Amino acid sequence: MVISVSHLSKHYQTFQKEPGLVGSLKSLFARKYQTVKAVNDVSFDIGEGELVGFIGPNGAGKTTTLKCLSGLLYPTNGKVSVLGFTPYERKTAFLKQIALVMGQKNQLWWDLPAQETFLLNKEIYEIPDGEYQKTLSDLVELLDVEDLLKVQVRKLSLGERMKMELIAALIHSPKVLFLDEPTIGLDVVMQKKMRDFIEVYNRLNKSTILLTSHYMEDVRQLAKRVIIIDHGKILYDGKLDSLVKKFAKYKVLSVVLETYVAPDKLAEVGELTEYNFPKAVIRVSRNASNVAAAELLQKFPVDDLNIEEPDIEDIIRDVFTQAAK
Amino acid sequence: MRYVRIFLLHFQDTFAERARSFVWFLIALINPLILLLFWRGAFLETGSTLAGWNLSTMASYYLLLIIAGAFLSVHIDEKIAYYDIQEGALSSYLIRPFSYALWNFFIELPYRILQGAFGVAVFLIFRLIFGPMIAIRTDWPSLSLAILIIVLGLLISFFFKMILGLSALWTTDYSGLEQFFEVAGLIFGGFVIPLNLLPDGVQRLAFSLPFSYIYYFPVTAIQGTLATADIPNILFGQIFWLAALYATYTLIWRRGIQKFTAVGQ
Repeated sequence: MVISVSHLSKHYQTFQKEPGLVGSLKSLFARKYQTVKAVNDVSFDIGEGELVGFIGPNGAGKTTTLKCLSGLLYPTNGKVSVLGFTPYERKTAFLKQIALVMGQKNQLWWDLPAQETFLLNKEIYEIPDGEYQKTLSDLVELLDVEDLLKVQVRKLSLGERMKMELIAALIHSPKVLFLDEPTIGLDVVMQKKMRDFIEVYNRLNKSTILLTSHYMEDVRQLAKRVIIIDHGKILYDGKLDSLVKKFAKYKVLSVVLETYVAPDKLAEVGELTEYNFPKAVIRVSRNASNVAAAELLQKFPVDDLNIEEPDIEDIIRDVFTQAAK
Repeated sequence: MRYVRIFLLHFQDTFAERARSFVWFLIALINPLILLLFWRGAFLETGSTLAGWNLSTMASYYLLLIIAGAFLSVHIDEKIAYYDIQEGALSSYLIRPFSYALWNFFIELPYRILQGAFGVAVFLIFRLIFGPMIAIRTDWPSLSLAILIIVLGLLISFFFKMILGLSALWTTDYSGLEQFFEVAGLIFGGFVIPLNLLPDGVQRLAFSLPFSYIYYFPVTAIQGTLATADIPNILFGQIFWLAALYATYTLIWRRGIQKFTAVGQ
Protein backbone atom coordinates (compact mmCIF):
# COMPACT_ATOMS: atom_id res chain seq x y z
CA MET A 1 0.00 0.00 0.00
CA VAL A 2 1.22 3.50 -0.80
CA ILE A 3 -0.87 5.12 1.94
CA SER A 4 -1.78 3.29 5.11
CA VAL A 5 -3.75 4.95 7.89
CA SER A 6 -4.55 3.08 11.08
CA HIS A 7 -6.72 4.50 13.87
CA LEU A 8 -5.62 8.05 13.11
CA SER A 9 -6.86 10.73 15.51
CA LYS A 10 -6.05 14.42 15.63
CA HIS A 11 -7.45 16.46 18.50
CA TYR A 12 -7.05 20.20 19.05
CA GLN A 13 -7.42 22.35 22.12
CA THR A 14 -9.35 25.53 21.38
CA PHE A 15 -9.56 28.47 23.74
CA GLN A 16 -13.09 29.56 24.63
CA LYS A 17 -13.65 33.15 25.68
CA GLU A 18 -16.83 34.53 27.16
CA PRO A 19 -18.14 37.65 25.38
CA GLY A 20 -17.34 41.21 26.41
CA LEU A 21 -14.74 42.91 28.60
CA VAL A 22 -15.60 40.79 31.65
CA GLY A 23 -14.91 37.69 29.56
CA SER A 24 -11.55 39.14 28.50
CA LEU A 25 -10.58 39.86 32.12
CA LYS A 26 -11.69 36.40 33.26
CA SER A 27 -9.64 34.77 30.52
CA LEU A 28 -6.51 36.44 31.91
CA PHE A 29 -6.77 34.29 35.06
CA ALA A 30 -8.70 31.18 34.08
CA ARG A 31 -8.84 30.00 30.50
CA LYS A 32 -11.36 27.46 29.33
CA TYR A 33 -10.27 25.05 26.65
CA GLN A 34 -12.33 22.66 24.58
CA THR A 35 -11.00 19.59 22.83
CA VAL A 36 -12.03 19.35 19.19
CA LYS A 37 -11.80 15.88 17.66
CA ALA A 38 -11.00 16.93 14.09
CA VAL A 39 -10.17 13.35 13.09
CA ASN A 40 -11.29 10.49 15.28
CA ASP A 41 -10.09 6.90 14.81
CA VAL A 42 -9.86 6.88 11.03
CA SER A 43 -8.40 3.91 9.11
CA PHE A 44 -7.97 3.30 5.37
CA ASP A 45 -5.45 2.11 2.80
CA ILE A 46 -4.76 3.45 -0.68
CA GLY A 47 -2.88 1.51 -3.34
CA GLU A 48 -0.46 2.70 -6.02
CA GLY A 49 -2.04 4.72 -8.83
CA GLU A 50 -5.44 5.01 -7.10
CA LEU A 51 -7.35 8.28 -7.33
CA VAL A 52 -9.55 8.59 -4.27
CA GLY A 53 -12.12 11.30 -3.54
CA PHE A 54 -12.34 12.50 0.03
CA ILE A 55 -15.77 13.98 0.67
CA GLY A 56 -17.30 15.71 3.66
CA PRO A 57 -18.91 18.97 4.76
CA ASN A 58 -16.87 21.88 6.19
CA GLY A 59 -15.11 20.84 9.40
CA ALA A 60 -15.55 17.12 8.66
CA GLY A 61 -11.83 16.38 9.00
CA LYS A 62 -10.83 16.04 5.31
CA THR A 63 -8.14 18.68 5.26
CA THR A 64 -6.83 17.68 8.70
CA THR A 65 -6.40 14.11 7.43
CA LEU A 66 -4.61 15.41 4.34
CA LYS A 67 -2.33 17.52 6.53
CA CYS A 68 -1.49 14.49 8.68
CA LEU A 69 -0.71 12.48 5.54
CA SER A 70 1.55 15.18 4.09
CA GLY A 71 3.47 15.64 7.35
CA LEU A 72 2.13 19.08 8.29
CA LEU A 73 0.46 17.86 11.46
CA TYR A 74 1.49 15.49 14.21
CA PRO A 75 -1.28 12.92 14.87
CA THR A 76 -2.66 12.71 18.41
CA ASN A 77 -3.03 8.94 18.06
CA GLY A 78 -2.71 6.24 15.45
CA LYS A 79 -0.25 5.37 12.72
CA VAL A 80 0.21 6.88 9.29
CA SER A 81 2.51 5.56 6.61
CA VAL A 82 3.02 7.15 3.19
CA LEU A 83 5.45 5.45 0.78
CA GLY A 84 6.85 3.65 3.82
CA PHE A 85 7.66 6.91 5.63
CA THR A 86 6.14 8.41 8.76
CA PRO A 87 4.99 11.77 7.33
CA TYR A 88 5.53 14.03 10.37
CA GLU A 89 9.22 13.11 10.46
CA ARG A 90 9.39 14.98 7.14
CA LYS A 91 12.46 13.22 5.85
CA THR A 92 13.93 14.70 2.67
CA ALA A 93 13.40 11.45 0.74
CA PHE A 94 9.70 11.55 1.68
CA LEU A 95 9.17 15.24 0.86
CA LYS A 96 10.78 14.75 -2.55
CA GLN A 97 8.09 12.20 -3.45
CA ILE A 98 4.94 14.03 -2.39
CA ALA A 99 3.11 17.23 -3.26
CA LEU A 100 0.26 19.06 -1.59
CA VAL A 101 -1.81 21.50 -3.63
CA MET A 102 -4.21 23.70 -1.74
CA GLY A 103 -6.74 25.64 -3.81
CA GLN A 104 -6.17 29.42 -3.86
CA LYS A 105 -3.03 29.18 -1.69
CA ASN A 106 0.08 29.84 -3.63
CA GLN A 107 3.78 29.25 -3.60
CA LEU A 108 4.42 31.37 -6.69
CA TRP A 109 6.38 34.64 -6.54
CA TRP A 110 3.93 37.39 -7.40
CA ASP A 111 6.31 39.90 -8.93
CA LEU A 112 8.19 37.45 -11.15
CA PRO A 113 7.09 35.12 -13.96
CA ALA A 114 6.05 31.64 -12.78
CA GLN A 115 9.06 30.05 -14.45
CA GLU A 116 11.30 31.62 -11.79
CA THR A 117 9.40 29.67 -9.13
CA PHE A 118 9.77 26.51 -11.24
CA LEU A 119 13.53 27.14 -11.35
CA LEU A 120 13.57 27.62 -7.57
CA ASN A 121 11.76 24.29 -7.10
CA LYS A 122 14.22 22.66 -9.50
CA GLU A 123 17.01 23.66 -7.11
CA ILE A 124 15.03 22.82 -3.96
CA TYR A 125 14.13 19.34 -5.21
CA GLU A 126 17.55 18.88 -6.89
CA ILE A 127 16.03 17.92 -10.24
CA PRO A 128 18.61 17.19 -12.99
CA ASP A 129 18.49 19.61 -15.99
CA GLY A 130 17.22 17.06 -18.54
CA GLU A 131 14.50 15.70 -16.29
CA TYR A 132 13.39 19.24 -15.39
CA GLN A 133 13.12 20.29 -19.03
CA LYS A 134 11.14 17.19 -19.97
CA THR A 135 8.70 17.39 -17.05
CA LEU A 136 8.21 21.13 -17.59
CA SER A 137 7.52 20.77 -21.32
CA ASP A 138 5.09 17.87 -20.67
CA LEU A 139 3.16 19.85 -18.06
CA VAL A 140 3.18 23.04 -20.13
CA GLU A 141 1.76 21.12 -23.09
CA LEU A 142 -0.89 19.33 -21.02
CA LEU A 143 -2.05 22.58 -19.41
CA ASP A 144 -1.54 24.68 -22.56
CA VAL A 145 0.34 27.51 -20.86
CA GLU A 146 3.30 28.00 -23.21
CA ASP A 147 2.51 31.73 -23.66
CA LEU A 148 2.19 32.39 -19.93
CA LEU A 149 5.60 31.24 -18.73
CA LYS A 150 7.19 34.68 -19.01
CA VAL A 151 4.21 36.66 -17.69
CA GLN A 152 4.40 38.17 -14.19
CA VAL A 153 2.27 36.01 -11.87
CA ARG A 154 0.22 38.96 -10.55
CA LYS A 155 -0.99 39.59 -14.13
CA LEU A 156 -2.39 36.05 -14.56
CA SER A 157 -6.07 35.19 -14.07
CA LEU A 158 -7.07 32.90 -11.18
CA GLY A 159 -7.40 29.92 -13.50
CA GLU A 160 -4.04 30.59 -15.13
CA ARG A 161 -2.40 30.95 -11.72
CA MET A 162 -3.90 27.65 -10.61
CA LYS A 163 -2.39 25.96 -13.65
CA MET A 164 1.00 27.45 -12.76
CA GLU A 165 0.55 26.31 -9.14
CA LEU A 166 -0.01 22.79 -10.41
CA ILE A 167 3.17 22.92 -12.50
CA ALA A 168 5.14 24.20 -9.50
CA ALA A 169 3.74 21.37 -7.37
CA LEU A 170 4.34 18.66 -9.97
CA ILE A 171 7.71 19.71 -11.36
CA HIS A 172 9.46 17.09 -9.19
CA SER A 173 7.11 14.32 -10.45
CA PRO A 174 5.70 13.32 -7.04
CA LYS A 175 4.54 9.75 -6.54
CA VAL A 176 1.78 10.86 -4.16
CA LEU A 177 -0.32 13.93 -4.75
CA PHE A 178 -2.67 15.49 -2.19
CA LEU A 179 -5.16 17.87 -3.80
CA ASP A 180 -7.18 19.98 -1.39
CA GLU A 181 -10.02 21.74 -3.21
CA PRO A 182 -8.05 22.21 -6.44
CA THR A 183 -10.97 23.71 -8.36
CA ILE A 184 -12.29 26.06 -5.68
CA GLY A 185 -13.13 29.52 -7.00
CA LEU A 186 -12.65 28.56 -10.66
CA ASP A 187 -15.34 29.04 -13.31
CA VAL A 188 -17.01 25.92 -14.75
CA VAL A 189 -14.86 25.89 -17.90
CA MET A 190 -11.63 26.07 -15.91
CA GLN A 191 -12.92 23.48 -13.43
CA LYS A 192 -13.46 21.07 -16.33
CA LYS A 193 -9.95 21.75 -17.69
CA MET A 194 -8.46 21.08 -14.25
CA ARG A 195 -10.39 17.84 -13.89
CA ASP A 196 -9.31 16.70 -17.36
CA PHE A 197 -5.70 17.49 -16.47
CA ILE A 198 -5.81 15.58 -13.17
CA GLU A 199 -7.40 12.60 -14.92
CA VAL A 200 -4.74 12.50 -17.65
CA TYR A 201 -1.91 13.12 -15.17
CA ASN A 202 -3.06 10.23 -12.99
CA ARG A 203 -3.32 7.92 -16.00
CA LEU A 204 0.06 8.86 -17.52
CA ASN A 205 2.13 9.01 -14.34
CA LYS A 206 0.43 6.33 -12.24
CA SER A 207 0.58 8.77 -9.33
CA THR A 208 -1.50 8.05 -6.26
CA ILE A 209 -3.91 10.96 -5.77
CA LEU A 210 -6.08 11.85 -2.80
CA LEU A 211 -8.52 14.61 -3.66
CA THR A 212 -10.88 16.65 -1.51
CA SER A 213 -13.52 18.78 -3.12
CA HIS A 214 -16.85 20.42 -2.45
CA TYR A 215 -17.77 20.03 -6.11
CA MET A 216 -19.35 16.64 -6.70
CA GLU A 217 -18.51 16.93 -10.39
CA ASP A 218 -14.79 16.69 -9.45
CA VAL A 219 -15.40 13.48 -7.56
CA ARG A 220 -17.83 12.08 -10.13
CA GLN A 221 -15.40 12.53 -13.03
CA LEU A 222 -12.18 11.63 -11.27
CA ALA A 223 -12.69 9.20 -8.41
CA LYS A 224 -13.82 5.61 -8.72
CA ARG A 225 -13.44 5.25 -4.96
CA VAL A 226 -14.71 7.70 -2.39
CA ILE A 227 -14.18 8.09 1.33
CA ILE A 228 -16.95 10.00 3.06
CA ILE A 229 -16.02 11.61 6.35
CA ASP A 230 -18.03 13.63 8.85
CA HIS A 231 -17.30 14.75 12.41
CA GLY A 232 -13.88 13.13 12.09
CA LYS A 233 -15.24 9.64 11.36
CA ILE A 234 -15.43 7.66 8.13
CA LEU A 235 -19.03 7.02 7.09
CA TYR A 236 -18.32 5.24 3.82
CA ASP A 237 -15.27 3.90 2.00
CA GLY A 238 -15.84 2.20 -1.32
CA LYS A 239 -16.74 2.58 -4.99
CA LEU A 240 -18.85 5.52 -6.05
CA ASP A 241 -21.28 3.16 -7.85
CA SER A 242 -21.74 1.04 -4.72
CA LEU A 243 -22.47 4.19 -2.70
CA VAL A 244 -25.55 4.77 -4.85
CA LYS A 245 -26.77 1.19 -4.43
CA LYS A 246 -26.08 1.13 -0.70
CA PHE A 247 -27.51 4.47 0.35
CA ALA A 248 -30.05 5.40 -2.33
CA LYS A 249 -33.25 3.74 -1.22
CA TYR A 250 -35.21 5.33 -4.06
CA LYS A 251 -35.13 6.11 -7.77
CA VAL A 252 -36.30 9.22 -9.50
CA LEU A 253 -38.99 9.27 -12.19
CA SER A 254 -38.75 12.37 -14.38
CA VAL A 255 -41.98 12.84 -16.29
CA VAL A 256 -43.06 15.25 -19.02
CA LEU A 257 -46.90 15.40 -19.22
CA GLU A 258 -48.99 16.14 -22.32
CA THR A 259 -51.84 17.71 -20.36
CA TYR A 260 -52.20 19.01 -16.83
CA VAL A 261 -52.73 16.44 -14.03
CA ALA A 262 -53.59 17.41 -10.47
CA PRO A 263 -50.60 17.07 -8.09
CA ASP A 264 -52.48 14.81 -5.64
CA LYS A 265 -53.11 12.31 -8.46
CA LEU A 266 -49.39 12.16 -9.28
CA ALA A 267 -48.59 11.81 -5.56
CA GLU A 268 -50.49 8.53 -5.55
CA VAL A 269 -47.59 6.98 -7.54
CA GLY A 270 -44.85 8.15 -5.19
CA GLU A 271 -43.39 11.19 -3.42
CA LEU A 272 -43.89 14.20 -5.68
CA THR A 273 -40.76 16.28 -5.09
CA GLU A 274 -41.11 18.78 -7.96
CA TYR A 275 -44.01 19.79 -10.18
CA ASN A 276 -43.75 22.56 -12.67
CA PHE A 277 -46.11 21.61 -15.51
CA PRO A 278 -45.37 19.90 -17.82
CA LYS A 279 -42.41 18.56 -15.81
CA ALA A 280 -42.78 16.48 -12.65
CA VAL A 281 -40.28 14.58 -10.51
CA ILE A 282 -41.46 11.64 -8.40
CA ARG A 283 -39.41 9.61 -5.93
CA VAL A 284 -40.29 5.93 -5.71
CA SER A 285 -38.85 2.95 -3.87
CA ARG A 286 -35.97 1.29 -5.80
CA ASN A 287 -37.81 -2.05 -6.02
CA ALA A 288 -41.04 -0.50 -7.21
CA SER A 289 -39.63 1.84 -9.86
CA ASN A 290 -40.66 -0.32 -12.84
CA VAL A 291 -44.18 -0.82 -11.49
CA ALA A 292 -44.53 2.90 -10.77
CA ALA A 293 -43.30 3.79 -14.27
CA ALA A 294 -45.84 1.40 -15.83
CA GLU A 295 -48.61 2.92 -13.67
CA LEU A 296 -47.67 6.42 -14.80
CA LEU A 297 -47.74 5.42 -18.47
CA GLN A 298 -51.13 3.71 -18.11
CA LYS A 299 -52.98 6.27 -16.02
CA PHE A 300 -51.62 9.63 -17.22
CA PRO A 301 -50.99 11.42 -20.52
CA VAL A 302 -47.17 11.00 -20.48
CA ASP A 303 -45.12 12.56 -23.26
CA ASP A 304 -41.73 11.43 -21.90
CA LEU A 305 -40.51 9.38 -18.94
CA ASN A 306 -37.06 8.63 -17.51
CA ILE A 307 -36.06 6.41 -14.60
CA GLU A 308 -32.92 7.88 -13.01
CA GLU A 309 -30.63 7.26 -10.10
CA PRO A 310 -30.86 10.07 -7.54
CA ASP A 311 -28.27 12.81 -7.70
CA ILE A 312 -25.05 11.81 -5.95
CA GLU A 313 -25.15 15.03 -3.93
CA ASP A 314 -28.59 14.09 -2.58
CA ILE A 315 -27.33 10.65 -1.59
CA ILE A 316 -24.35 12.08 0.24
CA ARG A 317 -26.58 14.61 1.97
CA ASP A 318 -28.74 11.68 3.09
CA VAL A 319 -25.63 9.87 4.37
CA PHE A 320 -24.70 12.91 6.48
CA THR A 321 -28.26 13.32 7.71
CA GLN A 322 -28.49 9.68 8.75
CA ALA A 323 -25.14 9.92 10.52
CA ALA A 324 -26.29 13.02 12.40
CA LYS A 325 -29.34 11.09 13.68
CA MET B 1 26.39 26.25 -6.34
CA ARG B 2 22.82 25.16 -5.58
CA TYR B 3 22.64 27.63 -2.69
CA VAL B 4 24.07 30.42 -4.85
CA ARG B 5 21.36 29.79 -7.46
CA ILE B 6 18.65 29.77 -4.79
CA PHE B 7 20.06 33.02 -3.34
CA LEU B 8 20.16 34.67 -6.78
CA LEU B 9 16.55 33.67 -7.49
CA HIS B 10 15.49 35.24 -4.19
CA PHE B 11 17.55 38.32 -4.99
CA GLN B 12 15.52 38.77 -8.21
CA ASP B 13 12.32 38.73 -6.17
CA THR B 14 13.68 41.31 -3.73
CA PHE B 15 14.96 43.49 -6.54
CA ALA B 16 11.43 43.58 -7.98
CA GLU B 17 10.45 45.37 -4.75
CA ARG B 18 13.37 47.84 -4.72
CA ALA B 19 11.16 50.96 -4.59
CA ARG B 20 9.33 49.74 -1.49
CA SER B 21 12.64 48.72 0.04
CA PHE B 22 13.99 52.24 -0.53
CA VAL B 23 11.00 53.78 1.26
CA TRP B 24 11.60 51.50 4.27
CA PHE B 25 15.22 52.63 4.27
CA LEU B 26 14.20 56.30 4.26
CA ILE B 27 11.95 55.72 7.29
CA ALA B 28 14.83 54.05 9.19
CA LEU B 29 17.13 56.91 8.18
CA ILE B 30 15.17 59.60 10.03
CA ASN B 31 15.99 58.59 13.63
CA PRO B 32 19.82 58.51 13.37
CA LEU B 33 19.82 61.75 11.32
CA ILE B 34 17.81 63.59 13.99
CA LEU B 35 20.19 62.35 16.71
CA LEU B 36 23.15 63.36 14.56
CA LEU B 37 21.73 66.91 14.36
CA PHE B 38 21.24 66.91 18.14
CA TRP B 39 24.87 65.91 18.83
CA ARG B 40 26.15 68.37 16.24
CA GLY B 41 24.36 71.15 18.12
CA ALA B 42 25.70 69.89 21.47
CA PHE B 43 29.33 69.68 20.33
CA LEU B 44 29.26 73.01 18.47
CA GLU B 45 27.72 74.67 21.55
CA THR B 46 30.26 73.32 24.06
CA GLY B 47 33.21 72.89 21.69
CA SER B 48 34.51 70.07 23.90
CA THR B 49 34.70 66.27 23.83
CA LEU B 50 32.60 63.80 25.81
CA ALA B 51 34.16 60.52 27.08
CA GLY B 52 36.41 60.44 24.04
CA TRP B 53 33.68 61.42 21.55
CA ASN B 54 33.88 64.54 19.43
CA LEU B 55 31.81 65.87 16.53
CA SER B 56 33.83 63.88 13.97
CA THR B 57 33.58 60.49 15.74
CA MET B 58 29.94 61.10 16.66
CA ALA B 59 29.05 61.98 13.04
CA SER B 60 30.86 58.87 11.76
CA TYR B 61 29.13 56.77 14.44
CA TYR B 62 25.62 57.81 13.46
CA LEU B 63 26.29 57.54 9.73
CA LEU B 64 27.67 54.02 10.25
CA LEU B 65 24.66 53.29 12.45
CA ILE B 66 22.45 54.08 9.45
CA ILE B 67 24.26 51.34 7.49
CA ALA B 68 24.11 48.99 10.49
CA GLY B 69 20.40 49.64 10.94
CA ALA B 70 19.81 48.89 7.28
CA PHE B 71 22.14 45.90 6.92
CA LEU B 72 21.84 44.27 10.34
CA SER B 73 18.20 44.91 11.33
CA VAL B 74 16.63 41.63 10.25
CA HIS B 75 12.84 41.88 9.82
CA ILE B 76 12.02 38.26 9.06
CA ASP B 77 10.07 37.95 12.36
CA GLU B 78 7.10 39.86 10.97
CA LYS B 79 6.82 37.57 7.96
CA ILE B 80 7.15 34.46 10.14
CA ALA B 81 4.63 35.57 12.78
CA TYR B 82 1.94 37.16 10.66
CA TYR B 83 2.17 35.39 7.31
CA ASP B 84 3.70 31.98 8.00
CA ILE B 85 2.12 31.20 11.38
CA GLN B 86 -1.02 33.29 11.78
CA GLU B 87 -2.13 32.94 8.15
CA GLY B 88 -0.74 29.42 7.82
CA ALA B 89 1.78 29.89 4.97
CA LEU B 90 4.28 27.81 6.98
CA SER B 91 2.60 24.77 5.38
CA SER B 92 4.17 25.47 2.01
CA TYR B 93 7.67 25.46 3.61
CA LEU B 94 7.08 22.34 5.70
CA ILE B 95 6.24 20.19 2.69
CA ARG B 96 9.36 21.14 0.74
CA PRO B 97 12.71 19.45 1.33
CA PHE B 98 14.65 22.51 2.44
CA SER B 99 15.63 23.96 5.82
CA TYR B 100 13.12 26.59 7.04
CA ALA B 101 15.91 28.66 8.61
CA LEU B 102 17.88 28.63 5.36
CA TRP B 103 14.76 29.57 3.34
CA ASN B 104 14.26 32.60 5.55
CA PHE B 105 17.92 33.52 5.43
CA PHE B 106 17.76 33.51 1.63
CA ILE B 107 14.58 35.59 1.75
CA GLU B 108 16.09 38.11 4.17
CA LEU B 109 19.70 38.43 2.94
CA PRO B 110 18.85 40.19 -0.36
CA TYR B 111 16.83 42.80 1.57
CA ARG B 112 19.76 43.40 3.92
CA ILE B 113 22.18 43.73 1.01
CA LEU B 114 19.88 46.11 -0.85
CA GLN B 115 19.18 48.24 2.22
CA GLY B 116 22.85 48.10 3.25
CA ALA B 117 23.74 49.39 -0.23
CA PHE B 118 21.36 52.35 0.28
CA GLY B 119 23.13 52.97 3.61
CA VAL B 120 26.57 52.89 1.99
CA ALA B 121 25.35 55.37 -0.65
CA VAL B 122 24.19 57.79 2.09
CA PHE B 123 27.53 57.37 3.91
CA LEU B 124 29.49 58.10 0.73
CA ILE B 125 27.43 61.23 0.02
CA PHE B 126 28.19 62.56 3.52
CA ARG B 127 31.84 61.62 3.12
CA LEU B 128 31.97 63.59 -0.16
CA ILE B 129 30.39 66.61 1.50
CA PHE B 130 32.22 66.60 4.84
CA GLY B 131 35.51 64.93 3.80
CA PRO B 132 37.85 63.41 6.42
CA MET B 133 35.54 64.37 9.31
CA ILE B 134 33.65 61.16 8.42
CA ALA B 135 36.16 58.38 9.03
CA ILE B 136 36.32 54.58 9.16
CA ARG B 137 39.11 52.04 9.66
CA THR B 138 41.22 51.53 6.57
CA ASP B 139 43.95 49.10 7.73
CA TRP B 140 43.15 45.65 6.37
CA PRO B 141 43.79 43.50 9.50
CA SER B 142 41.42 45.62 11.62
CA LEU B 143 38.97 45.91 8.73
CA SER B 144 38.91 42.10 8.32
CA LEU B 145 38.12 41.64 12.02
CA ALA B 146 35.45 44.35 11.79
CA ILE B 147 33.86 42.52 8.83
CA LEU B 148 33.86 39.29 10.87
CA ILE B 149 32.13 41.15 13.74
CA ILE B 150 29.56 42.52 11.26
CA VAL B 151 28.82 39.03 9.80
CA LEU B 152 28.43 37.55 13.29
CA GLY B 153 26.18 40.51 14.18
CA LEU B 154 23.98 39.71 11.18
CA LEU B 155 23.69 36.04 12.18
CA ILE B 156 22.83 36.95 15.79
CA SER B 157 20.21 39.38 14.51
CA PHE B 158 18.81 36.69 12.18
CA PHE B 159 18.41 33.96 14.80
CA PHE B 160 17.08 36.43 17.37
CA LYS B 161 14.35 37.47 14.94
CA MET B 162 13.65 33.86 13.91
CA ILE B 163 12.96 33.04 17.57
CA LEU B 164 10.85 36.17 17.97
CA GLY B 165 8.79 35.25 14.89
CA LEU B 166 8.29 31.65 16.01
CA SER B 167 6.99 32.89 19.37
CA ALA B 168 3.71 33.51 17.49
CA LEU B 169 3.16 29.74 17.75
CA TRP B 170 2.50 30.29 21.46
CA THR B 171 1.15 33.85 21.58
CA THR B 172 -2.00 35.13 19.92
CA ASP B 173 -0.86 38.77 19.95
CA TYR B 174 2.66 38.94 18.62
CA SER B 175 2.76 42.72 18.10
CA GLY B 176 3.35 43.55 21.80
CA LEU B 177 6.46 41.39 21.90
CA GLU B 178 7.66 42.84 18.61
CA GLN B 179 7.32 46.43 19.88
CA PHE B 180 9.05 45.59 23.16
CA PHE B 181 12.15 44.19 21.45
CA GLU B 182 12.13 47.00 18.89
CA VAL B 183 12.48 49.55 21.70
CA ALA B 184 15.02 47.38 23.56
CA GLY B 185 17.06 47.15 20.34
CA LEU B 186 17.05 50.94 19.93
CA ILE B 187 18.21 51.60 23.51
CA PHE B 188 20.64 48.72 24.07
CA GLY B 189 21.91 48.62 20.48
CA GLY B 190 23.29 52.16 20.79
CA PHE B 191 20.77 53.97 18.57
CA VAL B 192 19.82 56.55 21.23
CA ILE B 193 23.34 57.27 22.48
CA PRO B 194 26.65 55.39 22.18
CA LEU B 195 26.65 52.70 24.86
CA ASN B 196 29.81 53.86 26.62
CA LEU B 197 28.01 57.11 27.49
CA LEU B 198 25.36 55.20 29.48
CA PRO B 199 25.59 55.02 33.31
CA ASP B 200 27.74 52.09 34.51
CA GLY B 201 24.91 49.75 35.54
CA VAL B 202 22.91 50.31 32.35
CA GLN B 203 26.10 50.00 30.32
CA ARG B 204 26.88 46.59 31.88
CA LEU B 205 23.32 45.49 31.13
CA ALA B 206 23.61 46.70 27.52
CA PHE B 207 26.91 44.86 27.02
CA SER B 208 25.38 41.64 28.34
CA LEU B 209 22.42 41.71 25.90
CA PRO B 210 22.57 40.59 22.25
CA PHE B 211 21.63 44.03 20.82
CA SER B 212 25.07 45.52 21.49
CA TYR B 213 26.63 42.61 19.56
CA ILE B 214 24.26 43.25 16.64
CA TYR B 215 24.69 47.03 16.25
CA TYR B 216 27.03 48.81 18.65
CA PHE B 217 30.16 46.63 18.43
CA PRO B 218 30.03 46.19 14.62
CA VAL B 219 29.71 49.98 14.23
CA THR B 220 32.52 50.84 16.66
CA ALA B 221 34.68 48.08 15.16
CA ILE B 222 34.45 49.47 11.63
CA GLN B 223 34.71 53.03 12.91
CA GLY B 224 37.90 52.28 14.83
CA THR B 225 36.70 53.45 18.26
CA LEU B 226 36.71 49.86 19.53
CA ALA B 227 40.07 49.06 21.14
CA THR B 228 41.96 46.23 19.40
CA ALA B 229 42.48 44.58 22.80
CA ASP B 230 38.70 44.33 23.24
CA ILE B 231 38.10 42.53 19.94
CA PRO B 232 38.71 38.93 21.23
CA ASN B 233 36.17 39.53 24.03
CA ILE B 234 33.65 40.90 21.57
CA LEU B 235 34.14 37.91 19.25
CA PHE B 236 33.75 35.54 22.19
CA GLY B 237 30.54 37.32 23.25
CA GLN B 238 29.18 37.13 19.71
CA ILE B 239 29.96 33.40 19.38
CA PHE B 240 28.33 32.79 22.76
CA TRP B 241 25.14 34.62 21.72
CA LEU B 242 25.07 32.97 18.30
CA ALA B 243 25.39 29.49 19.82
CA ALA B 244 22.77 30.23 22.49
CA LEU B 245 20.30 31.67 19.99
CA TYR B 246 20.85 28.86 17.48
CA ALA B 247 20.26 26.24 20.21
CA THR B 248 17.11 28.07 21.35
CA TYR B 249 15.89 28.36 17.78
CA THR B 250 16.40 24.62 17.17
CA LEU B 251 14.55 23.76 20.38
CA ILE B 252 11.54 26.00 19.81
CA TRP B 253 11.35 25.02 16.13
CA ARG B 254 11.10 21.32 17.08
CA ARG B 255 8.53 22.04 19.78
CA GLY B 256 6.70 24.68 17.79
CA ILE B 257 5.96 22.67 14.65
CA GLN B 258 4.24 20.10 16.84
CA LYS B 259 1.90 22.88 17.96
CA PHE B 260 1.39 24.26 14.44
CA THR B 261 -2.18 23.72 13.31
CA ALA B 262 -1.73 24.85 9.70
CA VAL B 263 -4.71 27.13 10.18
CA GLY B 264 -6.04 28.76 7.04
CA GLN B 265 -4.04 26.41 4.87
